[in-house]
Amino acid sequence: MAATSMAAALAASLPAAPVAPTPAAPTYEAIPPSMSKVIDIEAEIPLQVVQLDGLVVTKILKHSKESSATVHGLLLGLDLDGTLEVSNSFALPHHVSDEDEKSAKSSARYQASMLRSLREVQADDSVVGFYQATSLGAFFNQNLVEIQAIHQEKLRHGGVVIVHDLSSTARGNASFRAFRLTPSFLDAYKKSNFSTSSLVNHRLTFSSILEEIPLQIRTNPLLGSFLESLTKSTPSLLPDTTPETARTSVLPPSFSSLDLGTTGLTRNLEQIIEAVDNYRTEEGNLAYLSRQIARERARADMYVAKRKEENAMRVAQDLPPLPEEDVARLFKIPAEPSRLESMLLLGQIDAYGKSLESTASSGLIKMYGVRSI
Amino acid sequence: MALGGSSAVHIQSSTISPALPAPRTPTSITIHPVALFSILDHYLRRNDEQPRVIGTLLGSRSPDNTQIHVRSSFAVLHSENEEQVAVDMEYHRTMYELHSRVTPKETIVGWYSTGSNLNTYSALIQNFYSQETAPHQAIHVALNTGAEEGEEAGVQAYVSSPVGVFPKPENCIFVPVPVRLQFQEAERSGLDLLTQTALSPNSTTAQPVTSIANLDATLNTVSQMIDRVLAYVRQVLAGEVEGDKALGRYLMDTLGVAAIGEKGGEDKAFNASLQDTLMISYLANLVRAQAEVSARLALVTS
Repeated sequence: MAATSMAAALAASLPAAPVAPTPAAPTYEAIPPSMSKVIDIEAEIPLQVVQLDGLVVTKILKHSKESSATVHGLLLGLDLDGTLEVSNSFALPHHVSDEDEKSAKSSARYQASMLRSLREVQADDSVVGFYQATSLGAFFNQNLVEIQAIHQEKLRHGGVVIVHDLSSTARGNASFRAFRLTPSFLDAYKKSNFSTSSLVNHRLTFSSILEEIPLQIRTNPLLGSFLESLTKSTPSLLPDTTPETARTSVLPPSFSSLDLGTTGLTRNLEQIIEAVDNYRTEEGNLAYLSRQIARERARADMYVAKRKEENAMRVAQDLPPLPEEDVARLFKIPAEPSRLESMLLLGQIDAYGKSLESTASSGLIKMYGVRSI
Repeated sequence: MALGGSSAVHIQSSTISPALPAPRTPTSITIHPVALFSILDHYLRRNDEQPRVIGTLLGSRSPDNTQIHVRSSFAVLHSENEEQVAVDMEYHRTMYELHSRVTPKETIVGWYSTGSNLNTYSALIQNFYSQETAPHQAIHVALNTGAEEGEEAGVQAYVSSPVGVFPKPENCIFVPVPVRLQFQEAERSGLDLLTQTALSPNSTTAQPVTSIANLDATLNTVSQMIDRVLAYVRQVLAGEVEGDKALGRYLMDTLGVAAIGEKGGEDKAFNASLQDTLMISYLANLVRAQAEVSARLALVTS
């Protein structure tokens, strides 16, 4: 599977465990008192907020726009006093085939040499997470969970995943959200036990798989001033101008969120239907499996009861009882099926529903707005 | 080429003699914002003593080679002092290889540097990149960060042409080429987000913004613009300011367009559309409720 090979590649390339603090180099530089509170070798200060640099925003946008499939990339940066600053990112090559071992290795090599190259030009080179682009807000899938689970073990602070919503961006509202796995899900995932009882014990539903971390976008002053000079409008030099061209600017203001069209609505509905269908199939599988389990169990129980009855009869007739054989050996009761997939599918349905709802509600506002003009 | 022929033959043959037709010079260059932002980031991370940074531009060419679209860029190590300039070619090759694994369509189109002074070293570097992009011409993009006193931020693009009777690598003329910013319409909102962020205090904004909040902000901007126009019109009417005739005509045009779609008839369409939207909203909520219930039920069954 592409997912596994990629996960393996990540595992191979990541630094082993949170980098151990280098044992006491003899020359100490005095740490200024103002900074002493934020020195955090053991990653003890919990993450409060993720801060995304403007450069990363555009990089993710470009990467996810260029390729049609879901895209992945690694986020680079560092954490300081509870803020995880994501300052750079690079795209990961898309896995076309599942050439397992080989592609996993080359992907690992790619990452390692990219990191080395970036270090040479003094960019941040520590991996802090990865990003994924989705559409219509449905980012739940096995792949994401798998990669993040690996990250959460290997990376300092567990790493984050930043999810970028393409369809919302196309509608004029660029959307980025940061997530990580909840401890209870991670626990269940480590035991790779998603039976019903495990779900109950961990209180897992689709909404408690991931926890959201507040996300901020930041532009550095240089970028800010550059953007300002891009948006500055100047009177056009042409003598005869229409209102649209009277003033020119490299980056004219746009009002794309006022667009009245409801493009994507049908697609959204289709997606919901598809997800519901998938869920039904998955649910059918689960039901089939659980019926099978129940049948096997009933047969085993019947066998035990029969044997007991027989023994009671034999005891009454003063005969030696038959040995109670190992039931587990006679009847193979299949293991309880994993409910992870169905849970993720439910999460997808929910996300599609949410994005449909928000489109509908803003559509309603626009309709009344137009009417009142 | 026949030697010792008449001069007429000689001239003719010399104009034809370059066997390959020279590729046409690029006449327009477009740049994707991400390339510019990478350059700015590289500039921020340079060493203190480095006056400028350089790097490679990747992109695509139009089939007739007159247009170049720069799509991304990466930093390249280099050092320059009074005596010499050195570019880490190996680093450049490695990075290009890495990039082409993700985006195979992007090829080397030229190089960038910050600051707007073109000197001998620029010509030398240009010469190096021309070899990389052969047979096409390399372009050079100079990005002025505006960080230095008295300079304005801006982007300039050049192609080079050799100069002198015997062209030498350190001599060339940089010919300016018009350059534009280009990106896909869908990426627009990302840039808007960044410009908003740049204007807000602390240069940070919180995410995610709901689409309603976004709509609200946009409507507020429109309302402010209308207020501005209204204030201006009132001032003109009161005779405080002299009216600009052109502006008046613009306003007339705009308002004329807005007034067309007026008066009844659409009530029916409006109501139908309203029903549809409400239905969708209802459906969305229903689906979500079902999903939630289903998730809870999965926990109960044991």
